[in-house]
Amino acid sequence: MVEYSKIEFLAACASRHVRDGENVFGGTGLPLLAALLAKETHAPNANLISEAGFIDARPKNVPLSVADSRYYFGCSAAIGLIETLGFILQAGRIDVGFLGAAQIDEYGNLNTSYIGSFEQPKVRLPGSGGGNDIASSAKRLIIMMTHDKRKFVKKLDYMTSPGHLEGPGSREKWGLIGGGPEVVITDMCQMDFDPKTLKIRLMSVHPGYTVDDVLENVMFDLIVPDDVPVTPEPTQEQIEIMHRLDPHGVYLGKGE
Amino acid sequence: MTESEVHDKIITLEEAAKLVPDGSGLFWGGFGYQRAPIAFAHELVRQKKRDLTIYTCGSEVDIEIMVGAHVAKRLEVAFVAIEALGLANNLRRRVASGDVEMEDYSNLAMAMRFLGGALNVPFMPIRSLMGTDMITKSRYRGDKKLKVIDDPFGGGKVCLVPSVQPDFSIVHVQRVDADGNAQIDGIVGEDIEGSRCGKKLIVLAEELVGSEEIRHSPDRTVIPAMYVDHIVVLPYAAHPMQCHNYYDYDLEHLMMFHKLTKTEEGWEEYLNGHILGVDDHYGYLNMVGWNRLHSLRARKPWGY
Repeated sequence: MVEYSKIEFLAACASRHVRDGENVFGGTGLPLLAALLAKETHAPNANLISEAGFIDARPKNVPLSVADSRYYFGCSAAIGLIETLGFILQAGRIDVGFLGAAQIDEYGNLNTSYIGSFEQPKVRLPGSGGGNDIASSAKRLIIMMTHDKRKFVKKLDYMTSPGHLEGPGSREKWGLIGGGPEVVITDMCQMDFDPKTLKIRLMSVHPGYTVDDVLENVMFDLIVPDDVPVTPEPTQEQIEIMHRLDPHGVYLGKGE
Repeated sequence: MTESEVHDKIITLEEAAKLVPDGSGLFWGGFGYQRAPIAFAHELVRQKKRDLTIYTCGSEVDIEIMVGAHVAKRLEVAFVAIEALGLANNLRRRVASGDVEMEDYSNLAMAMRFLGGALNVPFMPIRSLMGTDMITKSRYRGDKKLKVIDDPFGGGKVCLVPSVQPDFSIVHVQRVDADGNAQIDGIVGEDIEGSRCGKKLIVLAEELVGSEEIRHSPDRTVIPAMYVDHIVVLPYAAHPMQCHNYYDYDLEHLMMFHKLTKTEEGWEEYLNGHILGVDDHYGYLNMVGWNRLHSLRARKPWGY
């Protein structure tokens, strides 16, 4: 019996969506941990890129910032933003990007800017950063969030980054070159997108949770297929690698 | 240019900040935790500057300081938070009260606005922002925030972002010679474009080196002297953020800063103690303590 926290489960689950040899935008936090874990296990040739300018990064210690010098040592090139977000991302060279959000709607559109109205916001969030660029132009998008009903909303307070916008054909209408979100991973379940409607669909439920638990914790109509499997658990090896990558629990200790 | 004119480029931090009138627009260099011009933000606060507009991709503690002390009124940015530590608390309060107005762009959009400014063209096309509220919502630029057009050459929709040529560019680098040739170690973020888009460029450098040192490794000179108007030489100008190959971030100080800014009273305590309560940058460094600063010095070969 492997022992793990909800956060470790989330990171291990996300890491499985990275394929070997892919160009990956990692960022910081849990997405970075998931990408590093993938490199240490099934995807050793993944090319980890930070938008600050680090290419093919292999950090020894977990960076706290996309520009952290911890990203520098062992990377193959350290350049800048026009390189990573322009020549690499906007030119269509990123296979997969990771994003988190404070709010997501049923088409996978994301809010990282404001809670409350735009005119009189209650909470100013970090903003897009490179998030909008990644959501616009990465071939696939993996969204990672801790599960909270208030985050899975019918209507976003502000749309920072594009998911599938208003459904089929809308990304094409705006000339977006990326494929949009492929999977949403929380500490409760995995969700993908119904190919016909491009609306969020339940994919698997993590051990200890039921389909009803998930339905009670989203504020839109979630598509539930007939067969909803249980998400595979992390392996002992995955847990040990994560503890080695983040020995002080900078990211693993959060959200407990 | 005579020798004395060249050497006149080197001025003090106080003199440099005095050049910036109230209401100016500033490109703000550094990215994330790297090479943030914190010392310049402190001096703008000590000189009680007002109504500045800050243009940058992603800045953190420096923006918190400038909005907290009512120095910056408008921000055209992509990202403000303390990344791993959490939300920008001062900004959150200033935006909620309406004291600070933000115009939201993405990192690529801002970098391209700087590139457009540096190239002296009026706008740049990008593929980001499309379909989102960044297109439809504006705080104060209105229809001058951006434009979505059909590619005149037949390639579909494209977003045009307006170039920026602010009054000043403020960039922090590792080393500079007396002529102004500036070298950056590690990532450049958006500082190549940013250093060339402003009407005047002020470079803050950790170290003043001889011209021979620059000419021995000219490939590292990412900002040639011809762009540089003024030079300020100061150690630990980015503390508590990091400067690659020179010093690491001061995580304890950052956590203290982030915790204090959770309340207005806490922020005022920091402001009055660490910024207004000292005469200059050296006063700040003395307060932080040289034992501590020394412990942050970068170790070879890691650079942090």
